[in-house]
Amino acid sequence: MIGALEDPRKVFGQTVSALADVNERVVILSADSGKSSGFGDFMKEHPERYYEFGIMEQAVVGIASGFATTGKIPVFCAIAPFVTARPYEMFRNDLGYMRQNVKIVGRNGGITYSDLGSTHHSLDDFGIIRMIPGVVILSPQDPGEIRSACKAMLEYEGPVYMRIGNEKIPNLFEESKFTIGKGRIIRSGTDVTIISTGSITKNVMDAAKELEKAGISAEVIGMPTICPLDEDMILRSAEKTGCVVTAEEHYIYGGMGTMVSDLLCRARPVKVKKLGIPNNYATSGPYAQILASYGLDSGSVSKSIREFLS
Amino acid sequence: MTGNEVTQLKLTATNCRLNVLRLLKASGHGHIGGAYSAIDIITALYFYKMRVNPENPQMEDRDRFLLSAGHKCLAQYSVLAEKGYFPKDILDTYGSLGSHIPGHPDMHKLPGIEANTGALGHGLSIAVGMALSLRMDKKDSKVYVVTGDGELAEGSNWEAIAAAAHYKLSNLTAFVDFNGLQISGRVQDIMNMTPIADRFKAFGWAVRDIDGNSMEEIVSTLDELPLDTERPTVIVAHTIKSKGLSFGENQIPYHFWTPAEGQLEQAEQELQAVADAYKKELKGEEK
Repeated sequence: MIGALEDPRKVFGQTVSALADVNERVVILSADSGKSSGFGDFMKEHPERYYEFGIMEQAVVGIASGFATTGKIPVFCAIAPFVTARPYEMFRNDLGYMRQNVKIVGRNGGITYSDLGSTHHSLDDFGIIRMIPGVVILSPQDPGEIRSACKAMLEYEGPVYMRIGNEKIPNLFEESKFTIGKGRIIRSGTDVTIISTGSITKNVMDAAKELEKAGISAEVIGMPTICPLDEDMILRSAEKTGCVVTAEEHYIYGGMGTMVSDLLCRARPVKVKKLGIPNNYATSGPYAQILASYGLDSGSVSKSIREFLS
Repeated sequence: MTGNEVTQLKLTATNCRLNVLRLLKASGHGHIGGAYSAIDIITALYFYKMRVNPENPQMEDRDRFLLSAGHKCLAQYSVLAEKGYFPKDILDTYGSLGSHIPGHPDMHKLPGIEANTGALGHGLSIAVGMALSLRMDKKDSKVYVVTGDGELAEGSNWEAIAAAAHYKLSNLTAFVDFNGLQISGRVQDIMNMTPIADRFKAFGWAVRDIDGNSMEEIVSTLDELPLDTERPTVIVAHTIKSKGLSFGENQIPYHFWTPAEGQLEQAEQELQAVADAYKKELKGEEK
């Protein structure tokens, strides 16, 4: 139901568990992380396809690769920095270079592990994983997209990284089929294109409503796939509005905003503003307050865009 | 196994060493030291122990071999070529642009390669995943890994070593190519990982120390695998770096060797003489 709040980890865990119930190729790998990833029931119902390894993320990524060489579809979910930054070389070589059909899911992504501090934030995951050729990166925006993205992720043959958060998030859209590599025009507009990814799309949608009141017609594109980027959709919109703002829970360097900038620089030069976290170790505190302090709440997004357009 | 069969394996290992010289001739340089220390084990695995089929490299119930110390790939390329996985003239492309046999193996470029190793400390983890998955599917395929001794300093190995013991992976056997030398010096001076067998044992592995350049010992150990039906096995293979290269044995500079003029020819002559002696021995035994 639109507006209903759901825990993204539970949505993820329940969805993958239901799909794994009927797809015996799926194996769940845990680095002391399975229960918190929503696999509490699966581990009891399918102990033969649930493997606990304890806190050894580097090895688990390699082990996942080994499983995949025999036709399994390993799913490994843990706290985002620990499945991206820590085992980066294993991700690059054992999954990317070896082209293995492994699904890595970073939960508590972005700054959603707010008060636990910078060691547990993940503000570089899009940036580093997108440097690995051939890896699909998903960043669903609401519970419905998480559900449909899980299905698409398991159907896709190849390495996938998906980022989800941990704060409860509202359903924004009617659930529909997820097509990897396709963006979603959430709202049509003519004055500015706002491209958003992940759950802060809610704030961007609210910001667009505020902008409308100020007489600014914003086109909002939701981008639940970071790699491959929906370049056609971005270029068409940039052609129409002539200026682009990106918003993401990521460093403004290296992530989706950088990818959009690179694309526009190459194919359709327009003014671009990137909203996100500055290149520093993010502060800790309540999630909503951190977002606001970095200008990612709806009021700040709308204010930034008004300033950008003036 | 008969003495004749062991001699045949020794001859094959010598021919594989000659293949390594062919690779070096093509590129002008390469990691010969570790290739020559491990090549007897790799030869025995492919020509004596493993269930593999060069005609069908992806055969579902094959045994798997992972060269975690991917820089020793000159040995693996030579053995795979000798076994018939690909035409030997591919060996002549080593070091050339777009070669199917890069300086560390690429599974997408060459039949018989199971993983893209080379960055150290990856092979054992991948092997654990393979072994678990094969056991889950009730396959009796075995997984064999060769690691270096210097490589054991990579912490990720010990994650995998713990996991293999935890899951009692008796279908997994690791060989540590314990030649005692690495690029900067003696392993014991750089980061002492001894006693290697005791460390594995403490993690829960079945262990055995052998002379890793003695075909007799290698073969008799392979016959005993698994050493324990409830534990993974590690064979600590005491080897000699550059074994078979008379002027380079046990010498650090031959970790990565750029042959001077005439050296390749000398090595070839010496190894050819060794091969001829084995051939003669085999002929004699036939009579």
